[in-house]
Amino acid sequence: MRNVKISCRHVCKIFGPTPEHIAETIKPETAVSEILENTGHVVAVRDVTFDVYEGEIFCVMGLSGSGKSTLVRCLSRLIEPTRGEIVINGEDVVAMNKEQLRDLRRHKMSMVFQRFGLFSHRRVIDNIAYGLEVQGIGRAERLQKAQEILELVGLQGWAQHYPHELSGGMQQRVGLARALAVDPEILLCDEPFSALDPLIRRDMQNELIHLQKNLQKTMVFITHDFLEALKLGDRIAIMKDGEVVQIGTPEEIVAHPVNDYVYEFTKDVPRVKVLTAGSVMRPIRQKEDLIGKAVAMDTTLEQLIPLTADSDGAIPVMDAEQNLVGIVNRRRVMMALATVEEEEA
Amino acid sequence: MRKIMAAVPQPARSKRTINPVTVLLALAAFLLLYHALVNPIGIFPEAWNLHLRDPLDVFKKWVIVANRDGHWMFAFFFQPIKSSVDFFIRRAEDFLFWLPWPVIVTFVFVLANKIGKLPLALITSLSLLAMGLLGLWNESMKTLALMVTAVIISLFIGIPLGIWTARNDRAERFLRPILDAMQTMPAFVYLIPVVLFFGIARVPSVIATIIYAIPPVVRLTNLGIRRVPEDVLEAARAFGSTPRQILTKVQIPQALPSIMAGVNQTIMMALSIVVIAALIGGGGLGDVVLKSLRRLQVGAALEGGLAIVFMAVLLDRLSFAFSQIEHVSVERFQGFRLLPEKWSDRAWAQAVEKPIAKIYAASAKAEQKLAGALSRLLPRYRDWWQGHSYLLTSLLVLLVLLGVSFALGWEEFPQSWNLSLNQPVDKVVKWAQVNLYQIGDTFIGTGPFSDFVSLYLLRPLRIFLTDWLAWPIVMLLTAAIAWAVSGWRLALYSFFSLMLIGWLGLWEEAADTLSQVLIAVLLSVLIGVPLGIWSARSDRAERGLRPILDFLQTIPTFVYLVPVIMLFNLGRVPGIMASVLYALSPTIRLTSLGIRQVDEAAVEASEAFGCTPAQTLRHVQIPLALPSIMLGINQTIMMVLAMVIIAGLVGAAGLGFEVVDAMQNNKMGASVEAGLAIVMMAIVLDRITQAWAERQAKAANI
Repeated sequence: MRNVKISCRHVCKIFGPTPEHIAETIKPETAVSEILENTGHVVAVRDVTFDVYEGEIFCVMGLSGSGKSTLVRCLSRLIEPTRGEIVINGEDVVAMNKEQLRDLRRHKMSMVFQRFGLFSHRRVIDNIAYGLEVQGIGRAERLQKAQEILELVGLQGWAQHYPHELSGGMQQRVGLARALAVDPEILLCDEPFSALDPLIRRDMQNELIHLQKNLQKTMVFITHDFLEALKLGDRIAIMKDGEVVQIGTPEEIVAHPVNDYVYEFTKDVPRVKVLTAGSVMRPIRQKEDLIGKAVAMDTTLEQLIPLTADSDGAIPVMDAEQNLVGIVNRRRVMMALATVEEEEA
Repeated sequence: MRKIMAAVPQPARSKRTINPVTVLLALAAFLLLYHALVNPIGIFPEAWNLHLRDPLDVFKKWVIVANRDGHWMFAFFFQPIKSSVDFFIRRAEDFLFWLPWPVIVTFVFVLANKIGKLPLALITSLSLLAMGLLGLWNESMKTLALMVTAVIISLFIGIPLGIWTARNDRAERFLRPILDAMQTMPAFVYLIPVVLFFGIARVPSVIATIIYAIPPVVRLTNLGIRRVPEDVLEAARAFGSTPRQILTKVQIPQALPSIMAGVNQTIMMALSIVVIAALIGGGGLGDVVLKSLRRLQVGAALEGGLAIVFMAVLLDRLSFAFSQIEHVSVERFQGFRLLPEKWSDRAWAQAVEKPIAKIYAASAKAEQKLAGALSRLLPRYRDWWQGHSYLLTSLLVLLVLLGVSFALGWEEFPQSWNLSLNQPVDKVVKWAQVNLYQIGDTFIGTGPFSDFVSLYLLRPLRIFLTDWLAWPIVMLLTAAIAWAVSGWRLALYSFFSLMLIGWLGLWEEAADTLSQVLIAVLLSVLIGVPLGIWSARSDRAERGLRPILDFLQTIPTFVYLVPVIMLFNLGRVPGIMASVLYALSPTIRLTSLGIRQVDEAAVEASEAFGCTPAQTLRHVQIPLALPSIMLGINQTIMMVLAMVIIAGLVGAAGLGFEVVDAMQNNKMGASVEAGLAIVMMAIVLDRITQAWAERQAKAANI
């Protein structure tokens, strides 16, 4: 197992006059709307537990009002969590005092914002250098570092401009560069690409994937776009009404949505590209005719379809160590494409 | 279910309640009949006079004695303030007098050239030069020294106060009503108490100026910091900034345009009172105008007035330019241009621009040479030299100029360069008084106009207010209006405010002042509303009016007296004319704004029903613009009231004259009484018109 970088346990955030009291007294089954009506408290995040592993992109996906932005702010305590435990690198963030927290924000984690949050009175280069500046790093050194990052995100030649002179996509590159300049271990992204138009958004997503290959940061990436979560996320947490409904890899979620809410998102997903042999296979039965060459677990349906089309039997599936772990056949593939959950064993 | 019920309008209550407004009106009507038919009520009873002036005069004597004997309050509080402010003024004045005039003019030029462009540099430095050409260089520098002192102290107090109120909601709640009240008070109100504690001359002038001019910078600093977008602050926090880093690296830089707008307003308010402070011996340009007005030397007064206008233009344009600085990496236009861009293809414009461009190119080259030379000399700071080449060159030029000026004896502004306006203006005034007084045998001319206003407007109104409406009737009617527009609180408040004027023994004077104020407001509305409508309907009219209105609002109140006494001599009418000139702008502006902001859809709908433009105006635009128009009238009323004391200077009888007279004869108690009466009147009129405007706004929303 990989190292756990961020660990959230039972994190709650409730807005209102007496959040502590409400956090203690609400029953798990009471609906958020009911709590609001009866007590006037808004439950934004409710008993959220998850781990983020080192070097992965952990997407938190949910519709607006599902509490995902509040959750990501709880991680760096830009919003104080009402209850729960947040452990980063083995240290309890909730228990940190102001200086420790400032230190965490300065050196360990940085953030990219939906509305960019750029400083309009500073030039691009000084925006990027801001995090280094508040750390107290000298001018020459921080400008040199900022220049490197500027080139990394492809903004050569824009250093001396002001943010409002740049296009939206370029502004968010500045936001990303500003976050990367402090060389953080953790990058929190709060819907960074939502304000961009679709083509620019796609470019930025690809760019982020490309950057991540080299940087290997631990990222918590908030989005309301399920396809974006599938594209970027190593794992995805789906939120609804402040609660995490399901956590899993993109294909786990597409293949096995836990309820109708999640299923609704998966409906429009191009399943042939997401689902793999590993997620559609079934255990091998006795006396089964295995036909043809074995396939690897990460073979996508797109690749499986021609094989099953030619074969009436069961195709063996092997894991990385060449062990036989299950079979796929035409029926399994077609059922997976038809988005129907298999009932029979 | 409950909610739905609440939304349904309640049926009118069948039980008849007595409307208090009706009661008040009935009471007033009854008193009016009694007054007219049975037994005249007479003047406000002398026996009720509070004799406030007696304790005040006693207090003043005590202050004088206490001051002389070194009472702790004076020894440890007022005296130290007084001497430190005095020290500051002296240093500022000595410095400005020490600097040779070419250095000052050049300094303004290079500064304005840096923050604005060539036009700004020319306007400001030529304004300064004009003050010298009017023969008033020394007086201007005196006024400038007072201004510099007052403004610097105001900013030193005001900006931190603004920051504090921005970061602390409780502080804001505490300070806001105080700032509101400070801005409602006419400027001169501050002159009276400071005289008591600081005596006369320059120190009390500066202190009154500071108190009067501080609110805008506090307000706009607060507003600017509070308006920094939340996402920007969150980003700053997310990078681990300390609160101090957030303040200095994010909030203050982001709020800078707003803070500079506050500084601009503070400077302009300071100028208006520094000029009036001549009344208590502030000296400088205000003194020139005041002395000349007293001797009826219109030419000299005009010179002083013009110098004040130039000072206003200089300070306003310069500080306004500071608030307009934009963050751009590359200037949109690289060269330097004096004339508007659209003229650039005309031959004569090119002939003007070419030499200017050459001069600028040469100076840019010189700048670079200097920076290059310094870089070779001290290569460690190369970036700094390169980045600040303009500053370095400017400093060098100023230093050289300083040396040259001292060597050639250019310290004083040359006496011979005097464009004296004295005699020609006095001649024009004589001519105007003879020829414009009455043109031929017609009724056209300033004389008949003045007579008309005083005989057919002022006198009847004054008689109506004093003889017809006896004092209790006025109080009841005011209370009734206040109740109708707002409620019992304002009614009670207005009633007792008016009562206080009576108790001060100033009812007659107040009625006189009120009649002048009402006429001035009436004239302003009659002129302002049509002009506002015109400028709302014609872009060309708006473009033409805007610079005029800007200019009228820049000029300190005092200066308006000069042209009106040229035409109307002394008395109530010139006071009214000066008030109208000064107070016209907000009515025009807000009428125009109100009509322009009327929802496009409403106008379209009205046109779709076949309304003529006049019908649309009358039935749609004006009713919807009414709240804005009312706000303009409210501001006009307040500005007219601020002029009351200024009008007193040209002999407009009433409360203003009382204040001026008492101040000049050193009668502390009397001046406080009259000042208080003006403030009471101002507050009542302000609250009632504002409540009315708010009601209109609410009605328009529904």
